[in-house]
Amino acid sequence: MTQPLHDHVAADPITLELYRHRFSGVAEEMGVTLRRTAYSPNIKERLDFSCAIFDAAGNLLAQAAHIPAHLGAMPASVRTVLERMAVWAPGDVVIVNDPFAGGNHLPDITMVSPIFLQGERTPAFFAASRAHHADVGGMTPGSLPLSTEIFQEGVIIPPVRLYAGGVRNEELLALILRNVRTPDERRGDLAAQRAAHAIGERRLLELVATHGRDEVTAYAAHLLSYSERLTRAALAQWPAGSWTFEDLLELVDGEQLHLAPIRVTATLRHSEHGGVLGGEVTFDFSGSSPVTQSSLNAVIAITQSACYYVVRCLTGEDAPMNQGCLTPIHVLAPEGSIVNASAPAAVAGGNVETSQRITDVVLGALAQAMPSAAAAASQGTMNNLTIGGVREIDGRPTPFAYYETIGGGMGATAQGDGLSGVQVHMTNTLNTPIEALEMAYPLQVTQYALRHASGGDGLHRGGSGIVRSYLFLAPATVTMLSERRAVAPWGQQGGEPGAVGRNRLLRRDAVTGELREETLYGKFTRRVAAGDRLIVETPGGGGYGSPD
Amino acid sequence: MPRVGIDVGGTFTDFVVLEQGRLRIHKLSTTPDDQSRAIVAGMQALGLPAAQIVHGMTVATNALLERKGARTALLTTAGFADVLAIGRQNRPSLYALHQERPPALVADGLRLEVSERVDSSGAVITPLDEAALDGLAESLRSARAESLAIVFLFSFLHPEHEARAAALLRELLPELPLSLSSEILPEYREYERTATTVINAYVQPLVARYLERLEGALAAQGGGVPHSLRILQSNGGAIGPAQAALHPARLVLSGPAGGVVGAFAVAQQAAEAAMSAMSAGARTTASAAPLNVLTFDMGGTSTDVALCPGAILTTAESTIGDLPLRLPVIDIHTVGAGGGSIAWFDGGGALRVGPQSAGADPGPVCYGRGGLQPTVTDANLVLGRLDPAAFLGGRGDVQLDGDAARRALAALGDALGYRGDHVAEQAALGVLRVADATMERALRRVSVERGFDPRSCTLIPFGGAGPLHVCSLANALGVPAVLAPPFPGVLSAWGMLVADVSTDASRSILRPAAELGGPTGDPTPLIEAAQELQGRVAAQLIERDGDRVTFDCGLDLRYRGQSYELTAPLPLPVDAAAVSAAIAAFHTLHEQRYGYHLEGEAEVEAVTLRVRGTLLGRARAALPEAAAGRAPATTRSAPPTRTIWFEGSGPAAGQPLPLESALHDRAQLQPGDALAGPALITQYDSTLLLPPGWIATVDRFANLHLQQASS
Repeated sequence: MTQPLHDHVAADPITLELYRHRFSGVAEEMGVTLRRTAYSPNIKERLDFSCAIFDAAGNLLAQAAHIPAHLGAMPASVRTVLERMAVWAPGDVVIVNDPFAGGNHLPDITMVSPIFLQGERTPAFFAASRAHHADVGGMTPGSLPLSTEIFQEGVIIPPVRLYAGGVRNEELLALILRNVRTPDERRGDLAAQRAAHAIGERRLLELVATHGRDEVTAYAAHLLSYSERLTRAALAQWPAGSWTFEDLLELVDGEQLHLAPIRVTATLRHSEHGGVLGGEVTFDFSGSSPVTQSSLNAVIAITQSACYYVVRCLTGEDAPMNQGCLTPIHVLAPEGSIVNASAPAAVAGGNVETSQRITDVVLGALAQAMPSAAAAASQGTMNNLTIGGVREIDGRPTPFAYYETIGGGMGATAQGDGLSGVQVHMTNTLNTPIEALEMAYPLQVTQYALRHASGGDGLHRGGSGIVRSYLFLAPATVTMLSERRAVAPWGQQGGEPGAVGRNRLLRRDAVTGELREETLYGKFTRRVAAGDRLIVETPGGGGYGSPD
Repeated sequence: MPRVGIDVGGTFTDFVVLEQGRLRIHKLSTTPDDQSRAIVAGMQALGLPAAQIVHGMTVATNALLERKGARTALLTTAGFADVLAIGRQNRPSLYALHQERPPALVADGLRLEVSERVDSSGAVITPLDEAALDGLAESLRSARAESLAIVFLFSFLHPEHEARAAALLRELLPELPLSLSSEILPEYREYERTATTVINAYVQPLVARYLERLEGALAAQGGGVPHSLRILQSNGGAIGPAQAALHPARLVLSGPAGGVVGAFAVAQQAAEAAMSAMSAGARTTASAAPLNVLTFDMGGTSTDVALCPGAILTTAESTIGDLPLRLPVIDIHTVGAGGGSIAWFDGGGALRVGPQSAGADPGPVCYGRGGLQPTVTDANLVLGRLDPAAFLGGRGDVQLDGDAARRALAALGDALGYRGDHVAEQAALGVLRVADATMERALRRVSVERGFDPRSCTLIPFGGAGPLHVCSLANALGVPAVLAPPFPGVLSAWGMLVADVSTDASRSILRPAAELGGPTGDPTPLIEAAQELQGRVAAQLIERDGDRVTFDCGLDLRYRGQSYELTAPLPLPVDAAAVSAAIAAFHTLHEQRYGYHLEGEAEVEAVTLRVRGTLLGRARAALPEAAAGRAPATTRSAPPTRTIWFEGSGPAAGQPLPLESALHDRAQLQPGDALAGPALITQYDSTLLLPPGWIATVDRFANLHLQQASS
């Protein structure tokens, strides 16, 4: 067997840097194209998408607009697709959203296509993109329901060819579109993903035409080792040892609160490679709760993404994002647990809420190793609020559905206070302007303010949560999927915890006519009448260091 | 009267004068404490007692970026004082546990609320609590507020509450400058409207004082003869000082806007001249192709690039610092890389350039001001691509230290493992290749974002360093044509000189387009809004009797459910047919920009009406024809030569290759001259590198047209 070229040809430092730009540039241009041509606001405005290129073996070469939740999930999807598809032809395009086949939740549809070099019979590269589609069917508009099994969450797409040899499978597309609420948008978003792949393919083929196959593939491999070297070197700065941390998810069964543990042991090891000290880290989630009846189950890709996210926060973004950054990070999660769910568990909430708690425990474990680099817990939830109902427009009953997430406090660090009123860790989506919301839905926002003094006290204070109050102008069903209503975001190094969040409903009593206040758990569904109010107070971040 | 463009930059204040078909250029060090000092000194030096001046300024920009503006207060609807602090809930960086925001423009304690509320139909649900304003005035006074922004929810539908609060506060605090969101940006989206209004309030007192001082100083300098002074806005239109002082938020990207206006004007003029020289048949073919321009402005710390597909594009979605600015600005993409970017060998085995920059102080190693790490400028110097004698015309305060630059690059070359006699040159070539890769990415990005292929564009280099790098970038991008303007170092000032006197205004419309146009629509609301905006724009432009203004209208449209819009031209006069035409144009634009449209499938919403007015009757300034009549090139003595290092090819690829290269003084070139690379073309404040295999021809406006000899 011949040795790969990069093993005996040393990387030239300048050419290496040029290829960093070249590969990142290809992924970046794919991302720009996808954003430009997409329909869903999730893609266009909230940037909930990633584009990437992979080598023939399925190693991630470059990824652009990499939102944290996609870090582990993109490679996992491509790996699954490569396992399932034995033969590739030019013009093939595979799509997949199955969380149990490398996806993270159903609205994220991943597209994978092969790139063939002239005269070759197997693909030399793969292009991949993943985008959050606004709706993929299921129980509720937006496809993020309070579900108990995956079948309620929307259309499940295992790896299938949407295009075979460049010809679109119209019947497959018809089947998918028949299962979603807004078929034209889906058609548009899928077309946008394909347009991104076309750009990626064109630019990679141009690279090979200009610089030759040998150089391009050699430097693809060089870049992987380069990122791995940088990551290992950064991990070698961490102390060796083993640290365990546990935190709790708030499950609501009927009207009962149950706390489900997520537990991780982080083990850091140092080793020498060719005289250079390197490090690697293993995250072992043994001791975490088994799969639950709720939708708060995370598939393994989410757990990996959360681990990769924390390591990238702590090692910096210097290394170009590729497989080499991920190689020194090992994730062990017991199959059938809440952090490695198996079919047919419901997973809609795993992506939005459990992912945040996984991040917290990983941070909590590593904080023991590196107190000065660590952060206190952030709000640890996305405060998912869905309001839906039927209202009269021009005398006709017209259904409406509205979904939003609400920011909160960020945890404080050794460097300073936490930010207030922001989305934390695994998400970074924009809010909906009040003036847009009130024009589109029978709602009025009566207060939108920072929740003062909700950040944990400390040498540095945690960031403040948010208070957002809603007045309902028409009857509606309100569904809330939120966390940290019972278990506070912890402080760090003697800092106080942040305030827990609160969900309060003010409803007019049908008999007495008085407004009655009810404080609800983190997860609830309620019918409300016109004139009722909901007040959401989101959690503050934990403080850092003793306040004295 | 002579026309003068004056661009105040961080280091230099540039003057371009056009007087009776003659062009003059002047450069002075900027006077940061009071920018008007250099301006007045320059006008004196140029001997211009009276002129039509258009001025691009950084007073507003600097105040914002350095947080040196007024002590600003904000008055909002009760319950919403924190909208500014919360923003859109997104954090600045995805992967950082500790994050900071720049200090808020409105300090805690200066965010005030008053009871009032308007609903989404524009109806008042809570009347303005007028009695509370006395107490608020007292709070503002005791907090020593120097400027106030007033932003109420839905004020774009019901401006009366803001106006009433302003009127009452004016009585109580007559000295306090007020910025009302319903006047600054009457559009929906409360955070963006708040931020834009606060930006205006924050820079307003400073800009007003500056303009007052400048006008006074210019009047004194002119000895009683009044100058006509206008300020370039970020949208590329010039406006009078009174309007500029009221709406300074419109000025914050003034300087970069001048560069794009200048570059596009030069390209347009050159293309028109080329066209008129063609046969009729060739002209028809050529005129069908739009003039696509990519501007490339490489400075010391950053590089600005902009795509102009047949026209200069503006966007209302820019940011300044961390704040959104929802006023139209020329669409420019900035990357933090320039001549001062520092080169370093990282621990993983790659040569990196930037993101750290040596800036102006200490600056590159060759400036001899204590810089130790080699920069892009040092690499250019070591390779012989900068002429130390001609740098800034040889009269700047900068003496280039070539030895120091060479030592720094040799050290970098050693670290990279290079051996032999030309370690510094080899390292320098590497630094430039890496720096060019960053620029190439930026230029590709702005093209792809708009759905354009850079190969269909003309590349226009300017800024001090743009012309040094332009040929290698053109090569990498496959751009066939490069046009180097006569004075790349002061092109922004030229843009100011040629800019139209124009401004714009907008208003939220927010209703289904079918209600406004087509067979069943009633365009009355749009007609009324257009009249109001035209009146407002005209009032800002008309300075004396007889001034006439021409209007262009645009309608921001989107498919229902989208949260972003495209501006479609709205023909005048506004009527049902005009609206239908705008809707049809929107479908086409959507197809062109995004690759699909939903005509007949999705409802179209009219979101914002935009009106731009331009003052008529002002002759457009053009580059004068270059003086000819000197001896033809063949009879002139051969230019001097110098050694410039290039990259070898074939077996010597990557190795430094010394080539004897012609050294041309740009001032001596004349129309019709053709030069072959390798050559260095130096001028007062910029240097152009013509690599081997490239040729440059001089047109009658003294532009250089560069192309590869084979093409």
